[in-house]
Amino acid sequence: MTRGRLTALVLGAAFGFAISWGQFTDPDRIRAMLRLEDLYLYLMMATAVVVGFAGTRLLRRAGARTLLTGEPVAWSVGAPGRRHVAGGVLFGLGWALTDACPAPILAQVAQGSAWGLCTLGGVVAGIWLYLRRQERPAPGLARQRRWPATSQVQSSTTLPSGSST
Amino acid sequence: MSELLLSRPPWYVVGAILGLVVVAAIATLNARVGVTGGCSAWVERLTGRAAGLGVPGWLVLGVLAGAVLFRVLAGGDTVGDGYGWLTRTFTGSAEAVVPLVLFGGGVLIGYGAKTAGGCTSGHGICGTALGSRASLVATGTFMVTAVAATFVLGWVL
Repeated sequence: MTRGRLTALVLGAAFGFAISWGQFTDPDRIRAMLRLEDLYLYLMMATAVVVGFAGTRLLRRAGARTLLTGEPVAWSVGAPGRRHVAGGVLFGLGWALTDACPAPILAQVAQGSAWGLCTLGGVVAGIWLYLRRQERPAPGLARQRRWPATSQVQSSTTLPSGSST
Repeated sequence: MSELLLSRPPWYVVGAILGLVVVAAIATLNARVGVTGGCSAWVERLTGRAAGLGVPGWLVLGVLAGAVLFRVLAGGDTVGDGYGWLTRTFTGSAEAVVPLVLFGGGVLIGYGAKTAGGCTSGHGICGTALGSRASLVATGTFMVTAVAATFVLGWVL
């Protein structure tokens, strides 16, 4: 696993270096992209997708195995759902307000931007809120706990040990 | 070195590097490149929800390290003066609004990316490169929303 961590660290470093060099970290560059005045970032993303698409397909077609784990190169993809649209809308609004997305925000902070820290604080809070929401019981389950079904009430004649009533 | 790094390279150079990172992550670990997943790994670790960081958490550390390395080698940053339209729009005492807008926007980014299952790196680059229809839908949605919201903000402010 240590080799895996090191590999992730190196790959992340290449990613962080590249987005800094491409000036993904500059809010004015992102704004020009979102105002469709500068196509650089769209072209850059398209190149990344084409290279990634071709490289991963070549690996899979060649029956390659991963260098560190020895497993066959493989991946699965999920079907689109409502959450992809709902989450995408929220994410897009945040992107337009801050002119940044998670990787550039980290790179801004690493380059010493105090403004980036404000955005990163918000990202962390957003992730935490999401995790908290996921941990809450589903509304149906909560109702069931408060109002047990009649059959459950009738059958619960024996109180569990340790019950105070 | 500084001059080279502080001027933007051709788009296909940066694009190729990012694409190769996606290929290398699959070739070495069968792992996906996703920064939101890495940030989430840190939040889960620090709040006691997870025992370790895993590959995504270390990838995020790498992103930070890579940007620090860039800053040191370039001898300057690529963030710019102030913070774009926000510090140009809200000046003087109104500048106190800027951290609030950035924090609020950050909440939308974090919550939205977790809901969608990824961000620009996870869906926009990696997922799309792997041929995920879910990533295409998420990417299309956040791109269109961000462009539309930017134009609306431009008209309003």
